[in-house]
Amino acid sequence: MPTLEMRLQRYRPEQDSAPHWQDFRVEYDDSTSVLDALEQIKAEQDSSLSYRWSCRMAICGSCGIMVNGVPKLGCKTFLRDYPKGLQLAPLGNFPVEKDLIVDMSRFLEHLTAIKPYLIAEAAPQGQPHRQTPAQLARYKQFSNCINCGLCYAACPQFGLKPDFLGPAAIALAHRYNLDSRDSGKAERMAQLNSDNGVWGCTFVGYCSTVCPKGVDPAAAVNQGKIASTLDGVIQWFKPAKEPRNKEQSK
Amino acid sequence: MRTNKQDTPQTTPRRSDEPIWWSLFSAGGVCVAMLVPAIALLVLLGIPLGLVSAEQLNYQRLQALVFHPLGLGVVLGAMVLPLFHAMHRIHHGLHDLKLAHGRLAKWLCYGSAVLLSSLALWLWLTVSMASG
Amino acid sequence: MSRKPYQPPMPASWWLKHPAYRFYMLREATVVPLLFFVASLLYGLYALGQGEASWLHYLAWLQQPWVIALNSLALVASLFHAWTFFALFPQVMPLRFGSRTLPAWLMVSAQWAGVLLVILALWWLLGGVDAHQ
Ligand code: SF4
Ligand code: FES
Repeated sequence: MPTLEMRLQRYRPEQDSAPHWQDFRVEYDDSTSVLDALEQIKAEQDSSLSYRWSCRMAICGSCGIMVNGVPKLGCKTFLRDYPKGLQLAPLGNFPVEKDLIVDMSRFLEHLTAIKPYLIAEAAPQGQPHRQTPAQLARYKQFSNCINCGLCYAACPQFGLKPDFLGPAAIALAHRYNLDSRDSGKAERMAQLNSDNGVWGCTFVGYCSTVCPKGVDPAAAVNQGKIASTLDGVIQWFKPAKEPRNKEQSK
Repeated sequence: MRTNKQDTPQTTPRRSDEPIWWSLFSAGGVCVAMLVPAIALLVLLGIPLGLVSAEQLNYQRLQALVFHPLGLGVVLGAMVLPLFHAMHRIHHGLHDLKLAHGRLAKWLCYGSAVLLSSLALWLWLTVSMASG
Repeated sequence: MSRKPYQPPMPASWWLKHPAYRFYMLREATVVPLLFFVASLLYGLYALGQGEASWLHYLAWLQQPWVIALNSLALVASLFHAWTFFALFPQVMPLRFGSRTLPAWLMVSAQWAGVLLVILALWWLLGGVDAHQ
């Protein structure tokens, strides 16, 4: 079996003040994924190595990792594509907890803030919520997100300002705002309208390049800018006495 | 290492004024893409590139074209909006390069766009008014 | 066990690290030559308001090598900007008809057709038709 040079970023919070690199050599064939290689290292070379994974089929979103500086899913990236060897580091822009594991709580807080779930009025008595294919098509692409956070690692604005809600959270807000069954848009807009909402984005666009699910978060964020602008215009023309963002104050 | 609690779901963050600047930036972006190549190619570089003659850019014709009421569209589309477009990108660029952010940078950026735009409009208006 | 997360630094040179970031910075930098373009027009507008002599002086100014160089840069920058801007349009404002979206290439080519049309229109306004007969 051919072997490949792999350079891993290690960080042991008990001993280290900063991460360092460690070299490994792994055996691989055409079907060896980066995740497989990490398992090989942990099983045969260094059992102290820490990394995250679960589904091994690009669906759980837990194996995000920087491969040669590019955010990738470990289970969807194959050694055969890196004949010159590869360098693995924890997902960029997040605090590193240990080795290849990052603290994603910032992303998760932002995700919670935009209420990424259907806020729907009850369907008429015993009826399901109906939706036409055209209504589905409006948001379908944005619903494929697996919350892997690769787009956050790709986003310099999130790196520069961690309070920025970021690509996936805004894409999911947009996904529910576009859903014909949803009526929670007003609750989400308050978040999106802020400097840390859609306006934190400068359309670098790299988030959409790295997304393993074709979500195109950059499109969602920038469609959100139009939505936020219209929302502002509407608020402007509303009678001033009406409390703004009614839903927020309850 | 936690982000501050200000923007957790419980509080309503302040609405950004960015829609104003972004709208001007976008409108400017369209103008830069649509009008600037034509004007750069035919007016600013027209003679050196041999695309137009000095005779074609003669004083009378340009006077008539630019200080025509429709010339205001050119002032807005080729100067005012592109200025807002440019200063918006510079404002964000300063933040990207970690050179400056905050109120002062913002005032300076959009302030200079306002100032130079006013200058362009004033130059146009004084002549247009005078020539009736 | 207590936690000690390591926060990776974000140096001001972050944008040098990946081609996608360098491309982004190049796109943002197109506004620098654009500012020179606007300055050239401002000067032109001023000259035009001052009378024929100063307009002729302005036309001569336009033909100085350094002015030609900077305006050529502005032209290239505006075309590069157009290329990036047109590509964003179908992403930001997808035109939908029922469950179908207008293909991106169609929207992009329509915008380039617009650029060409504006060039032709200006050429016509500048008496291009008569001058080349
Ligand atoms: S938008 Fe794409 S890259 Fe971002 S979290 Fe969702 S699946 Fe991952
Ligand atoms: S292990 Fe689930 S996405 Fe890779």
